[in-house]
Amino acid sequence: MTEIHIDTWLYGNLAVYGGDPNEHNFANANVPLPEGSVLQDLLNSLGMKTEERGITFINGDLSAMPGMQPDLDHALKDGDRVAFFHLRSMWPFQYRHGVAMIDEMQSAIDNSEDMGLRHAYKLPDDD
Amino acid sequence: MFFVRVNMTDRTYSVTDVPEKYKHLAGRGLTSNVIADEVPALCHALGPNNKLVFSPGYTTGTSAPTSSRVSVGGKSPLTGGIKEANAGTSWAADLGVLNIKALIVEGFPEEKGKFWGIAVTWDGKPKVEFFEATQYAGKPLAEVHPAMYEKFGEKISVCSIGMAAEHGYSNSGVAFNDQYKRPTRYAGRGGLGAVMATKGLKFIVLNRAGAPGVEIVDKALFEEGRKKMIDALRTHAITKPKGGLNSYGTAILVNILNEAGGLPTRNFSSGRFEGAPKISGETIFEKNKERKGKEVYNHNCSPGCIIQCSNTVYDEKGEEITSCLEYESAWALGADCGIDNLEDVAKMNALCNDYGLDTIETGVAIAVAMEGGLIPFGDSKAAIELVHEMGKGTPKGRILGAGAATTGRAFGVRRVPVVKGQAMPAYEPRAVKGIGITYATTTMGADHTAGYTIAPEILGVMGKQDPLSPEGKAGLSRAFQATTAFIDSSGHCLFIAFAILDIATGYQGMIDEVNGVTGNKWSADDILKLGGDILKVERKFNEAAGIGKEADRMPEFMMKEPLPPHNVTFDISDETLDSVFGEL
Repeated sequence: MTEIHIDTWLYGNLAVYGGDPNEHNFANANVPLPEGSVLQDLLNSLGMKTEERGITFINGDLSAMPGMQPDLDHALKDGDRVAFFHLRSMWPFQYRHGVAMIDEMQSAIDNSEDMGLRHAYKLPDDD
Repeated sequence: MFFVRVNMTDRTYSVTDVPEKYKHLAGRGLTSNVIADEVPALCHALGPNNKLVFSPGYTTGTSAPTSSRVSVGGKSPLTGGIKEANAGTSWAADLGVLNIKALIVEGFPEEKGKFWGIAVTWDGKPKVEFFEATQYAGKPLAEVHPAMYEKFGEKISVCSIGMAAEHGYSNSGVAFNDQYKRPTRYAGRGGLGAVMATKGLKFIVLNRAGAPGVEIVDKALFEEGRKKMIDALRTHAITKPKGGLNSYGTAILVNILNEAGGLPTRNFSSGRFEGAPKISGETIFEKNKERKGKEVYNHNCSPGCIIQCSNTVYDEKGEEITSCLEYESAWALGADCGIDNLEDVAKMNALCNDYGLDTIETGVAIAVAMEGGLIPFGDSKAAIELVHEMGKGTPKGRILGAGAATTGRAFGVRRVPVVKGQAMPAYEPRAVKGIGITYATTTMGADHTAGYTIAPEILGVMGKQDPLSPEGKAGLSRAFQATTAFIDSSGHCLFIAFAILDIATGYQGMIDEVNGVTGNKWSADDILKLGGDILKVERKFNEAAGIGKEADRMPEFMMKEPLPPHNVTFDISDETLDSVFGEL
């Protein structure tokens, strides 16, 4: 089976999933996955539960926010850059209004009751 | 409450009751109205007809959480239009406690090269004394601030201007003390420091001893509002203790905007900076932990703030380099200049505080000069020298001190990221289009604090409009700017908006607090209208100053040059931009 490689960026306390248990700032890992893998497979490969991540990007497109993760089945391809942020990270609405999103995220926002005008989609219990 | 007018022509002052017309106003609403009424729109910002107005918000000086903000207003030498810049500081609270609704600095001293200070105390009403301050000019602020505490005692608060203002730079802020007596809290944008300098005024020292404090008309309602606000701020992930802001400060946004392709890099030529993680909030937190041997959480910039987002950057020896390094400063002096050395970025931030410079305008001007070939992108040591030149007032420093637009002209640079002459902050409008609409249309020139979000169900203006459609985006920007104008009048820090967007009771808390203090019965709709009225006054002033809707535009290069990595241009139409205030 052909392998693909994912350029994976892990920020804050998620950096430990990059291989160094003492790293809490950021890590950049090149993660090999079988062709046809989806985002959930990348999480499995890293050993990271999906609840541990907040804001997520795939090639600079917003793919998840805390409490809104429509990207688990998103197909990955070779060379994709995926970035995972810790739950204490933030991105206020006015500073992300009109940014690029993956189709699944755009659809989730469009179908949400408040059309996405939130800073957080739930208040994560991150203590 | 009182109006205190300080006349710098003959160093006299008057104290009067608040004129009826202004009784319902505070903060930005008050500064903008006084400027619009009393300053000729076509006057020279550094001439005798400009004025400088300081006003605390409605709740400033009370026990409302995160409410120690002061608005500073005047005609801006940078934009040529109306300006309100605000800061969080104990000086703001003291102004409220001294019952001063507006401190208006006017007049024009005939004798040049001399500086004065004023000391305001309470003697049954506010009392003003003048003192000579020429001996404090020409020196870094960190050197001269301690002299004020020696002269007037420890329990004072201090407003001042630095050498940038003395040189008359359009990039010069008004400084205020933080909680540790450092002159590091700035009403930074738009060159109001230079306006204060033209009045020959170097210091405004406040001593609240014996002053009565802010009168609260309906104490029960105020307490109810205060509790709602505290609950919202303490619950929300962004604002709660050890939450996002308290742990990482606003610099938490560096990595986020970088991954989004919206971190303006090397003078807005890319949206992604390979060195971003090195100047991020996460890196500051981890380096501080290593250097101080423990986790260092952030502190408050002003009394009564429970968000506490101000960070400190320490060097390898554990000595403080600067406090606070905001996201926009880390970006302007870092990514926009292609610099990834955190310690050098922090050093430049400290120099900006010392010389009285706005960090955003400084970083963007240096980045424009880098593009013009003055020094290479990424050369942090040469950039530090340029900030020194700005402080010293060398010809090169003066060009940079005039701001990014002037720097672009001096070096023949075409890519100049300004709106209405003011440098664009740290959110690339080609990648984050919503903020681009606000940059283009705000009365302030490109300003990232002009459009904070409030809960849509409270705004009520959206209906079922698609927020991504052109009409939706324009409507949202209008509503955001109007509510922001009100928050800027409430005395609260804009960061309460993070919590009150997601927690509706928090928003009601703000309204209850303001109604409690003033005795008004304003509703959420009233607040949107009051904010809109402030914008109308500001737009009218700008139009009279020759800054009409034609100036509500982005720089041309943003419409033509695709921004990597998304390779997008700013494609919001002129009609959409015009519609933001067409319906106000």
